Amino acid sequence: MSAARFLPGLAALLLGAVLARAVELTLGFNHLLVAIALGFVLANAVGVPDRLEPGINTHKLWLGAGIVLMGASLTLETILEVGGLVLLVVVGVTTLTILVVELLARNVFGLADHMGSLLAAGSGICGVSAVVAVAGAIRAREEQIAYAAATVLLFDAITIVVYPLIGDLLGLSDVVFGVWAGVSMFSTGPVVAVGFAHSEVAGQWATMAKLSRNALIGAVVIAYASYYARSGSAGRPSLRTLWDEFPKFVLGFLVLVALASAGVFSSAQQASIENAYNWLFVLAFVGLGTEIQLAELRSTGLTPALVVLLALVVASTVSLVVLSMLFGA
Amino acid sequence: MGSTRLDRGVAAVRSRWTDLERDWQSVAVGATTVAAIAVFELQIPW
Repeated sequence: MSAARFLPGLAALLLGAVLARAVELTLGFNHLLVAIALGFVLANAVGVPDRLEPGINTHKLWLGAGIVLMGASLTLETILEVGGLVLLVVVGVTTLTILVVELLARNVFGLADHMGSLLAAGSGICGVSAVVAVAGAIRAREEQIAYAAATVLLFDAITIVVYPLIGDLLGLSDVVFGVWAGVSMFSTGPVVAVGFAHSEVAGQWATMAKLSRNALIGAVVIAYASYYARSGSAGRPSLRTLWDEFPKFVLGFLVLVALASAGVFSSAQQASIENAYNWLFVLAFVGLGTEIQLAELRSTGLTPALVVLLALVVASTVSLVVLSMLFGA
Repeated sequence: MGSTRLDRGVAAVRSRWTDLERDWQSVAVGATTVAAIAVFELQIPW
């Protein structure tokens, strides 16, 4: 396998990142949203050429690396200040979302049990990754996985546009907007993008809330596997699953939070690390934009989309009200 | 001789890299960036 096959796509990501930053500097549009728009236009207007795909598909690697580096601009003190409350909100909203999707899917719209569970995991935890992880544990069918993944991607595309508009319209504070996006939007990339598009602080809180939510994936996979194992439609879950599904880059993020809290970095080093993660995020978001493909979104079933829409409205409204009461609008 | 050893080294690094889970690759990229900034006082512009 040659490393050279990644170069054209990486060059495209880099070009998109520089262009997005240039648009921000000249026209004032947010660079992260411009980066997503550039990727979206490439994928939907001309299509991603085959030779660019290997390099562009590395975008999740850069997003993870950016999140690791973000740890250096936070301290334990900042996190502990409101972190406990945020963690409670994360667990509460995740549980609420999963329960509402399961209830609507099974009892109101009559979807198959497996389909409801995939939608619940995708909406409640971390988007397509959660759909795939739970699908493996409950032995869902291929077309159920495809429908659930397309539904999650549809709402990723919608929330990237709608959340910043609502945030500006309601004049939400950085902490409230960031945590709100982190607990109620679906996939990690869009959460980080809208958070940082709002402000630096909102981006940090959005990412931390989302990482806490992602860390619940192992427990949710085990819970689903146990439930379906009783009906004989899944294998037995194991503790190993917890580790396998845990997003390991969170560990790198925590190490950098600890080092920054211990005062290991000078202010010049911290500024460079911050600039590095800003570049990594723009790179990642050009790639993320290419994943929003209109043709795929059209394949979303109406009923799954309705179930997820209703659950999103409930989770989003409840979390916004609770966060506004806890931290002020 | 020297270039063979270098080739073997590169191949070993590449093999280790491709064996890594993507999350650990992200951690490796982050760690390398921090090390480069700390050791070489690298200034990254924005």
